Amino acid sequence: MFMQSEQDWSKLYKISSEKRNSILVIYLTGDFGLKNLKAFTEEIKQLIYKQKPQEINIDFSGISYLDSAAALALIQIQKDTIVASINCSLVNLNEETKGIYSVIHEQALTKTPFKAKMRQDLFLIQLGDSVLHLVRDFANVVTFVGELLYDIFYTIMHPQSLRIKDVLFYMKRAGVDGLPIVGLISVLIGLIIAFMSFLQLKQVGANIYVPSLVSFAMVKELGPIMTAILVAGRSGSAFAAEIGTMVVNEEVDALSTMGFDAVRLLTIPKVFAMIIVVPVLTVYADFFGVFGGLIVGVTGLDLTVNTYLTQSIKTIKVFDVVTSLVKAAVFAGLIAGIGCQRGFQVRAGAQDVGKFTTSAVVSAIFLIVVADSIFAVTLYYIK
Amino acid sequence: MQSPDNKPILVVENLAARFGSNIVFEGVNFQVNKGEILVVVGESGCGKSTLLKIMIGLQKPSSGRVMFRGRDIISASEEELNEYRQNIGVLFQSSALFSSMRLSDNIALPLQEYTNLDSATINMIIKMKLGMVNLAGYENHFPSELSGGMKKRAGIARAMALDPIVLFFDELSAGLDPVTAVELDDLIIKTNEALRTTMVIVTHELESICKIAHRVVMLDKTAKGIIAEGKPLDLKEKATDPRVRSFFLRQLPEVDSRSTSYGK
Repeated sequence: MFMQSEQDWSKLYKISSEKRNSILVIYLTGDFGLKNLKAFTEEIKQLIYKQKPQEINIDFSGISYLDSAAALALIQIQKDTIVASINCSLVNLNEETKGIYSVIHEQALTKTPFKAKMRQDLFLIQLGDSVLHLVRDFANVVTFVGELLYDIFYTIMHPQSLRIKDVLFYMKRAGVDGLPIVGLISVLIGLIIAFMSFLQLKQVGANIYVPSLVSFAMVKELGPIMTAILVAGRSGSAFAAEIGTMVVNEEVDALSTMGFDAVRLLTIPKVFAMIIVVPVLTVYADFFGVFGGLIVGVTGLDLTVNTYLTQSIKTIKVFDVVTSLVKAAVFAGLIAGIGCQRGFQVRAGAQDVGKFTTSAVVSAIFLIVVADSIFAVTLYYIK
Repeated sequence: MQSPDNKPILVVENLAARFGSNIVFEGVNFQVNKGEILVVVGESGCGKSTLLKIMIGLQKPSSGRVMFRGRDIISASEEELNEYRQNIGVLFQSSALFSSMRLSDNIALPLQEYTNLDSATINMIIKMKLGMVNLAGYENHFPSELSGGMKKRAGIARAMALDPIVLFFDELSAGLDPVTAVELDDLIIKTNEALRTTMVIVTHELESICKIAHRVVMLDKTAKGIIAEGKPLDLKEKATDPRVRSFFLRQLPEVDSRSTSYGK
């Protein structure tokens, strides 16, 4: 073992005493350190309490090891006894012990901290702060969206400025790497919808509508929204963490001083990659959702594969597929945009990176739902 | 400066570090004596940081042993290694203070984890440690509110929280202005003299080396091991190896620096 346990440490010291008239001499022998600090201070205090002396001499001559914490504890005992009107002296200190005491500064022990710990604000102040924070956040997001739209427009007008390599890299990260989880979740969702609707529809003998329900729900709503939420969790958070860490490491400042538009350089490839890849992922999710329903349809409803697929295809219109793709592209833009924006908001430290990464995911999901609501109303009237 | 005892506290035996076919160093042998300030020097890429990481138990060597109080830390179990780590303190190059915690919480963390002390005693120890590094009164500050030199000192206070037997420093004064670097050197000397803490410092700041080191171990990239060991002044004045001489005289070996400059 490299170190003695607390039990071992308690055996490493010995405290003895003798009372000469009204003077109590306490002899310290052995090792005194952090590990036995509590034990030996208690013992000395008990001794003083029992003997009730008028004067105490703590004799250091037998000490073989003393660390700074133990030295401090002995000063504290000395102070406490002096407060109790008992004169206490530390005697027979060797050079080593004197050395330790030379770096324990009395004024440091009593110094009031320069800064008080922050107290909890009143509820009203907290509420006001939160509202102001929301307003400021909204202004930040709007400014960022403006900047982003300008950069997107600029990139479309100057396609040579787009870093294709980066776009491909993020397409792989957000798209290809996300295929397994998107596929799995979609199959399960398809299974669940089919199973739940089958339980209800079988009561009225309308099992044949299960494929329609699954494909309708997947293509129109669940495909785009579930894919977007998964991508927000996977890639939105990754973008925020990546850019946030770059801010902390002053990499973003370095880009700016090199004359690069950091937003354009870091955000645009991610946004373009996401706008390309998320609609593809959505179509993929739709297929897997229908496949999930098919499993229930074929195994539980006695439908043939052919009937199930024909019924599904009949339900889905080209308009639905196109709007689903448009939705997916908009969601993609929102996820990438907010992910990057939150990353740029990081100022310092690991905690900030965590805070804004969480915020990126929460904000992205919120924006996805808001955008989806707008789509729902708008598409109703377009139709 | 007080001279240390000649009792070895840490012994490095036949240490080698290899990454694939790349040999960082081989056959490294030296010892760190009790109360000594040992400085490990060498050019960038010679394996100073790898050596430090091995000595603090963060990395396993390819072969060799590091003996602490007669026990090998390389073959030690994770539990034993954690015990070893309670006996050492490390100051990282970036100070590595926890940014989400106040200085007091940074220092309190090991005390709360490894001792049974009550919060009042821990607070007194925090105040004492901050006083030792001239940061009295800064307990409620966050690391982001401190300058580079103050962060280093706070890092030293945290490293000393458990009164370690050995303190390790990675690039002690890297990135600091000369005045702050000198202050830090003085703090190291004062701490070593007062507490007799053994110190292992990895650096290439020549002024620091000459001022604070009791002994120097010099690693070399091409030799893949130690090329010199001794007192800094002896190495500076008596070394015959051109690599050692060039390091201490701040010259490129066998090259007149002026002849290669543009301003000749």
